[in-house]
Amino acid sequence: MSEMNQHDHDHENHDHSAAPKERDSRYWLSLDQWAQDPEFQKMAEQEFQSSPLRESDGEDGWARREFLKLMGASLAMASAGCIRRPVQKIIPYNKQPEEVTFAVSNFYTSTYFDGSEALGLLVRTREGRPLKIEGNPKHPMNLGGTSVRAQAHILSLYDPERIKTPIRNLLNKTKTNRDTITAKWEEIDDAVVKQLAKGGVAILTGSVNSPTGRAVIGDFAQAFGARHVQWEPLAHEEIREGQKLSYGDDSLPFYRFDKAKVIVSVDADFLGTWLMPTTFSRQFSKARKDIANMPKLVAFDSAYSLTGANADIRVRIKPSQQIAVVMGLAHEIIVKKGQTRFAGNASVKSALDPFANVASQLALEPALFTKLADDLIQNRGKSLIVAGGLPTLTAQSQDLQVAVNFLNSALDNDGATVEGKNGLPGVGASYSALASLVNDLNKGTIKTVIIHGCNPVYALPEEFGFAEALKKAEMVLYTGDRNDETGRQAHFVIPDHHSLESWGDAEIGRGVYSIHQPTIRPMYDTRSLGLTLMTWAYMAKRGSKRLTTYETYYDFLRSVWKEEIHPKVGKGQAFEDFWENVLQEGFAGSLADSSARNFKLEALSGVKPVSSQGYELVLYPTIALGDGRLANVPWLQELPDPVTKICWDNYVCLSLATAEKMHVREGHLMEISVNGKKHKLPAHIQPGLHDDVLAVPVGYGRTAAGKVGNGIGLNTYQMVSIQKGLPIFAGAKAEISNTKMKYQLANPQGHHSMEGRQIVVEATLKEYLKDPGAGMHKHHVFSIWPAHAYNGHKWGMAIDLNSCTGCNACAVACQSENNIPVVGKKYVIQGREMHWLRVDRYYVGDPANAQTVFQPMMCQHCATAPCETVCPVAATVHSSEGLNDMVYNRCVGTRYCSNNCPYKVRRFNWFNYAKLIEKPMHLALNPDVTVRVRGVMEKCTMCVHRIKAGKSKAKLENRELQDGEFTTACAQACPTDAITFGDINNPESRVAKLFAEKRQYAVLEEFHTAPNVRYLSKIRNDDQETRPGSHGHDSKGGHS
Amino acid sequence: MHQRFSAGSLSFALSVLAVAAAFALTGCDQLHKLGIGYNRGYQPDQPIPFDHSVHVGQNKIQCQYCHNQVERSAHSNIPALSTCMNCHLTVKTDSPHIQKLRDAYDKGKSIEWVNVHMLPDFVHFNHSAHIQRGVNCQTCHGPIETMQKVYQYETLSMGWCVNCHRQPENRAPLNCSTCHN
Repeated sequence: MSEMNQHDHDHENHDHSAAPKERDSRYWLSLDQWAQDPEFQKMAEQEFQSSPLRESDGEDGWARREFLKLMGASLAMASAGCIRRPVQKIIPYNKQPEEVTFAVSNFYTSTYFDGSEALGLLVRTREGRPLKIEGNPKHPMNLGGTSVRAQAHILSLYDPERIKTPIRNLLNKTKTNRDTITAKWEEIDDAVVKQLAKGGVAILTGSVNSPTGRAVIGDFAQAFGARHVQWEPLAHEEIREGQKLSYGDDSLPFYRFDKAKVIVSVDADFLGTWLMPTTFSRQFSKARKDIANMPKLVAFDSAYSLTGANADIRVRIKPSQQIAVVMGLAHEIIVKKGQTRFAGNASVKSALDPFANVASQLALEPALFTKLADDLIQNRGKSLIVAGGLPTLTAQSQDLQVAVNFLNSALDNDGATVEGKNGLPGVGASYSALASLVNDLNKGTIKTVIIHGCNPVYALPEEFGFAEALKKAEMVLYTGDRNDETGRQAHFVIPDHHSLESWGDAEIGRGVYSIHQPTIRPMYDTRSLGLTLMTWAYMAKRGSKRLTTYETYYDFLRSVWKEEIHPKVGKGQAFEDFWENVLQEGFAGSLADSSARNFKLEALSGVKPVSSQGYELVLYPTIALGDGRLANVPWLQELPDPVTKICWDNYVCLSLATAEKMHVREGHLMEISVNGKKHKLPAHIQPGLHDDVLAVPVGYGRTAAGKVGNGIGLNTYQMVSIQKGLPIFAGAKAEISNTKMKYQLANPQGHHSMEGRQIVVEATLKEYLKDPGAGMHKHHVFSIWPAHAYNGHKWGMAIDLNSCTGCNACAVACQSENNIPVVGKKYVIQGREMHWLRVDRYYVGDPANAQTVFQPMMCQHCATAPCETVCPVAATVHSSEGLNDMVYNRCVGTRYCSNNCPYKVRRFNWFNYAKLIEKPMHLALNPDVTVRVRGVMEKCTMCVHRIKAGKSKAKLENRELQDGEFTTACAQACPTDAITFGDINNPESRVAKLFAEKRQYAVLEEFHTAPNVRYLSKIRNDDQETRPGSHGHDSKGGHS
Repeated sequence: MHQRFSAGSLSFALSVLAVAAAFALTGCDQLHKLGIGYNRGYQPDQPIPFDHSVHVGQNKIQCQYCHNQVERSAHSNIPALSTCMNCHLTVKTDSPHIQKLRDAYDKGKSIEWVNVHMLPDFVHFNHSAHIQRGVNCQTCHGPIETMQKVYQYETLSMGWCVNCHRQPENRAPLNCSTCHN
């Protein structure tokens, strides 16, 4: 070890002894921290976990000399550079497009469909290229909010690995040949038309929620006698089947979380990944804004879902207990307490009787269960029980749905908070339909398969037999954006438009239609599926008039809107006016009223208790990757999971007790046997997990996604087993052993330690009702410095922790808006991630059954900023409008500011990340924000470019700025309206009013940094008088 | 240069570094005082010798006729070829330069003009804000109406910008983020 290293270690030890030992044990970031692990403590004290000066991979001191050499070389170049200029060309338009003004953004309404949720979008374009995806504030479902994937799918448009021309895979007899050549459109079209004449055609797509898409596929299928099969990995088939058994109609219902006072979720991660999470987050947070009457959320959670993390009361269960929870509640309400119209019904009683002692079986406090039953009884018609998603796909998934439907019907929620009629007509994905297709392929009755918008070869377990069956087809055609796992099994890969390049529409609820506009001319030689089918029909001279007449898919779409949609929702407007209006607003129509349906009691008799022993596997989709289709988008790979905080990998989550029993440490490689097959995954020790649960994310382990996504994690869809054609994602018996091998997981959480101060303020509802400022300790602070004067605007931001669900939409919005680079797993491990905005997650309480709080954390724009006083070159200075400005061109990279920042929000550019951006990914860079070079600090600017643009617009129009006229990227994206930005000097502004609320506090107020970002405390509606163990902080004293 | 550095000792490297730095700093400083390092006077050849003195000086065409987005955009646009052709469909059609322009226009191509006034990427200048405040084009671009071939008239240095922003009567913002973000 070098002398230099030795010295550094001595220095650390010295610091270590001086570090404060006192910690608030209620808030802790990780298990390492909980354990006060000495290794962690060392890491937490070090702002930069690695330095090029310390990486001595050569002889003694080599690294430093190399550094000086580089410095010398760059200076020499600089001295030569000051009299030379690069010649830049300006290339004007040939004809000026009317709608384009240089450097002024245009916004287009559009739609993003992720397989179950359709989000209304506003796509920001500059000079004809999309730059940023925002939610459409007028859109009736998401109301301006977006999800991480909706925002990040812009990068898939500029993905260098998209296929640019039609290609042909030269498959040998065993169909393992991977040779790929380019093909011509004529060649493909001729071959396909000839093949289609033979009959036996199947079209396999993802869920098609587009009415025009359904029309074009339907017309084509009719013309060619083809079968249309819809399939997605996250199919929601169990809900539809459950609805059919319970009510006779198999459509998905629409849930109204905004109307519910008591919400019980049994593994339905409705705030994270289930069905319509952005819409549901909007509804849920809207209801919780009225704190005195806030709804209560009780979550029974197998994996640690985002919904569980936001629950007032979270109960850890395992999948085999899901039915018991719901039926037990029904027993408590109907049999024990004799409530609802089913009380006294003998068949109901006999069905519920086996669930009489659920509370004790679940090891729950009986009082909790009784109280929940009481709450549900008191809120009849205003409560909501939901279950669904991958963690409920046990062998008894449909029974669980029947039980949930029964309880909702018994409590009169059906027709009130469950709108049976307003479901999502497009979500028709089905494993059983696909199983029958596999069957027919094996029988040889299907000769041609056209696959679009799904990736079954990747996302189905081998046992399902799809890949083998596909080899029996005479011709496989795949339309998509890359030659992925399924594409490689196809004879022809037909390049499809990216969703930002094509026209389309979506039925986002029954009777509500959303338009999907293109925002860029197709970048490559691609063709939309609609036009492809129309072309084949035209060439074969078969099919309906509209299928063979129109020359473009746009014309087809317009005809569908004119003939089918306009008469339904046009309200007597002329079609052209209606169409203009739709393009402007982004949608048309409204949801109908719903009424209660008749529950078929006979369905209930099939619901039986489930027994289980040993570990149960739970597969779940993550917030970032979902089903894994966007695995090649680096933003999503580097986005830390809201709960585990791990990125760039999947893993198996174990409870504390299980980990202890098996002597597992974080990152130990575990071997999991399920269904007779062995899989190796690194371990993540997850507080709050049931001791019998092994929770594993899906969506990783792609092999043909592209350079970014390939080989990241393990394809855990292979852990799914198939029973009677249906997939088992949860509850499968699993065995696990510790290989003791170490694997390093990239987890940025430990880098953001806050050493036990008043960071997140929490109170119970009962405390809040007595004192809205409950749980907060106000410090006496004074300054020897004169305060800054803010004569004009003073920008500020209020973040309501009671609304924030930790969904990370803000983090991706920030990354997209501010050209924030992705650094990769290696550098995340070294603590060099670049996110300006992160969402901190703290666990609260007993680690075995921990609760969670989230806190978005970015530059706090302190009025007395510690960073400003230590910068030797005045590269970070205070603006007259309250912002902490960062001047990149002044920064010399001393990193003093970051060392002095108590919030740890400053990021250092260790490399020239921008130079590594592969074309055409650079087109996604925002030209309003400087791309930073190596060696400079950066951090949140509070979207100062947006502030300037807003001010400039008002000035050009000769008027005063309006509150809410513009906002930051994070606030715009937030689906829960948790972030409010505005002018604090304007007493009428929303943010000024929030600053005056009693729940408002400043993080680390005792340092008197006087931040312009303020937080509002979190309120938990959990029936407790006080927060358990509260509130150690003010009793400690000593620093007030 | 490169070889000597890797072979040399730390002290040698440092001394060379110090000399290089000293030369670089004083050299640049003096050149900048003359306005040279900032490309003042930069006058590149253009693919078509567009003459501002003829268009603006003699024929009194308003600046905004061609640079029509300057009032609503941060950038002052170079006009599209269609704007040129508004007049040159009939004016001076026999000139070889106009023929070049017309050929490009007919083929749907463009002309690659050489950028004269260039700010570094970390500076965000907004034309519309200045035009709105009544700043003349000539204040920054000089006597453009007399220029046969456009050249950079001012240094466009930060000192030059700030000098104007500092004048109390201009009431211009002086925050770093006014120009840098």
